Amino acid sequence: MMKVIQARMLPWAVGLLTAVVIYLVFFVVPPAQGLGDYVRIAFFHIPMAWVSVLAFLMSAWWGAGYLRRQEMRADRLSAASAKLGLVFVVLATVSGAVFSKLTWGAYWNWDPRQTTIFVLLLIYGAYLTLRAAMPEPRRRARVTAVYALFSFLTVPFLVFIIPRLYFSLHPSPVINGSGSLDMDPVMLGTLLAGLLDATLLYVWLVFRSVGGKDKEALP
Amino acid sequence: MQQSIWQGIKLVFIKELTAGLRFKAAWAAMFMFALTTLACVSMALQGGVVEPRLLAALLWVCLFFAAMAGADRVFADEDTAGTLLTLRIFGPSQAVLLGKMLYTLFLLVLLAMFITPLFLLLMDVTVAAPLVLWGTMLLGCTGIAAAGTLIAALTTGASVHSGLFSILMLPVILPVFLPAISLTAGAFGSGGITGSYLGGMALYDLILLVGASILFDYLWYED
Amino acid sequence: MITIKFEAVTQSFYGRTIFQDINAELRSGTITAVTGQNGSGKSTLLKLAARFMLPAAGQVSVWEEARELRRAELRSRLAMVTPELRFYPRLTARENLAFLLGLRGITLDDAAFSALMMRVGLRETEIAAVFTGEFSTGMRQRLKLAALLASGADIWLLDEPGANLDAGGRELVLREARQAADEGRLVLWATNDGREEAAADAAIHLAGH
Repeated sequence: MMKVIQARMLPWAVGLLTAVVIYLVFFVVPPAQGLGDYVRIAFFHIPMAWVSVLAFLMSAWWGAGYLRRQEMRADRLSAASAKLGLVFVVLATVSGAVFSKLTWGAYWNWDPRQTTIFVLLLIYGAYLTLRAAMPEPRRRARVTAVYALFSFLTVPFLVFIIPRLYFSLHPSPVINGSGSLDMDPVMLGTLLAGLLDATLLYVWLVFRSVGGKDKEALP
Repeated sequence: MQQSIWQGIKLVFIKELTAGLRFKAAWAAMFMFALTTLACVSMALQGGVVEPRLLAALLWVCLFFAAMAGADRVFADEDTAGTLLTLRIFGPSQAVLLGKMLYTLFLLVLLAMFITPLFLLLMDVTVAAPLVLWGTMLLGCTGIAAAGTLIAALTTGASVHSGLFSILMLPVILPVFLPAISLTAGAFGSGGITGSYLGGMALYDLILLVGASILFDYLWYED
Repeated sequence: MITIKFEAVTQSFYGRTIFQDINAELRSGTITAVTGQNGSGKSTLLKLAARFMLPAAGQVSVWEEARELRRAELRSRLAMVTPELRFYPRLTARENLAFLLGLRGITLDDAAFSALMMRVGLRETEIAAVFTGEFSTGMRQRLKLAALLASGADIWLLDEPGANLDAGGRELVLREARQAADEGRLVLWATNDGREEAAADAAIHLAGH
């Protein structure tokens, strides 16, 4: 019962929160020094990048779930997560490139974070190509779960090694090197609201895409 | 049966080697592919002076694509010959995986030993740090063999074959590829060899090996 | 004592149901025949018994006394003869058997190999220097039987083992299967041959859909 109520509330909550975030980004957040109004792009870019990574993590997680219990529902969740992840990673890449062009004058310069997100894009592409190439459902579920987990092994490299290989222009994440918060409270609040909104949007879409087929799920 | 895992690996390796020696088309294809790529690169550059970093990248691109042309065969050949079922009935998973991995590594090292001297000759490169170069080659080949064997097993039964292997390989192997290029550039004299890259590559190879070993069981035994 | 249990097993491919609601319990020491016309799923049933695939619904499990056999443990206890089984075409019969049995930890010396070839009716001098890729289908079938016999497996899964064999060969299969059952092995035998079916202790009939 609780689940049904939650499921009905979620789209409304997402819609409301999205409206609030858009309002905050365009009418409340002050222009940043140096970046001016371009900073507003970041409030879409960062949550999208976050969801790209989250969707990858969840896709691997549900893949592991399939390997453990052989439930086709886990496979469908894993696939849905990867498909959404691809959409978000493309949006994050494009918004990042636009921001890069506006502030540094070039769309692409193989900045570490651009490299990271590009690898993520490749993984999503590879995962979905593999799915499309596997005709038999159970074999497809098994094989794609294994690939999701195997490609997840690149994560430590993407996070720790790549930033050392290349010099970065990318602004540090919310928490900078010294560990202190280096942000205007209004901006921080807006960013956190944006992150929450994108996460809820992801959760809603992932479960919605498998919801209808739940009853005919194979054991 | 525990002590027989080495025995099993050895059996699989020798079987692959014997079959490979009796049917040289697979080997020939891989080596000729490498030679062709190398010739293309060399001709395109026409002996112009190229900076070390670009040279290193070219060498690895040649190696990577030649490896892609050979490494995906370890399971695909068994699949087309129909022997995969036989192997699944009789072969324990780890012996099969590790035996095939070892054979792939052996092939790739041969390939690297074939292509690298030719490359150095054609491009007129002087190697400032030969040990670093060979260490990088060995670690790079190990990574490709470890990831390639698992991914070759993944792609059996796919309806589209051509290209799928490379598509799946590239993101997983980039963590080997990028430091390998940096190290090779260093060995070609661009300066700034970072020893920790070698350590990093070795560590990532190990991660790939362990990951492949754990995940392969799920492919070999369907339940 | 090994038991294979089929509980409400249904299998389908791409939405086409092959068979449904199969319930059976197979025990070691018996020959169970699987009968049914072409396409009724005999081979599929054998693969399910070996757990090479999972059914769309229901459960297949293999038990030794009260302990379930799974994965590597189950795999090492069974052997199969099926038309899909192939030997390495560029290895000789001896090399093929040495490799496959070696993976199970079984070594085959010269005397044992000679005896085995005699048992399945292959002339050793004829096959010594020939790759199995050049074998006739009948010779290949006999070599499959040799691998099965030498493996010492407790579970035999036979898919039309008499196919491609002459009268003597069919006789050999019947004799070996009976002896294996008497030795306490579990034999599951897919067949369309009335005589082979009659030799079995129990039967599963697949009606086909």
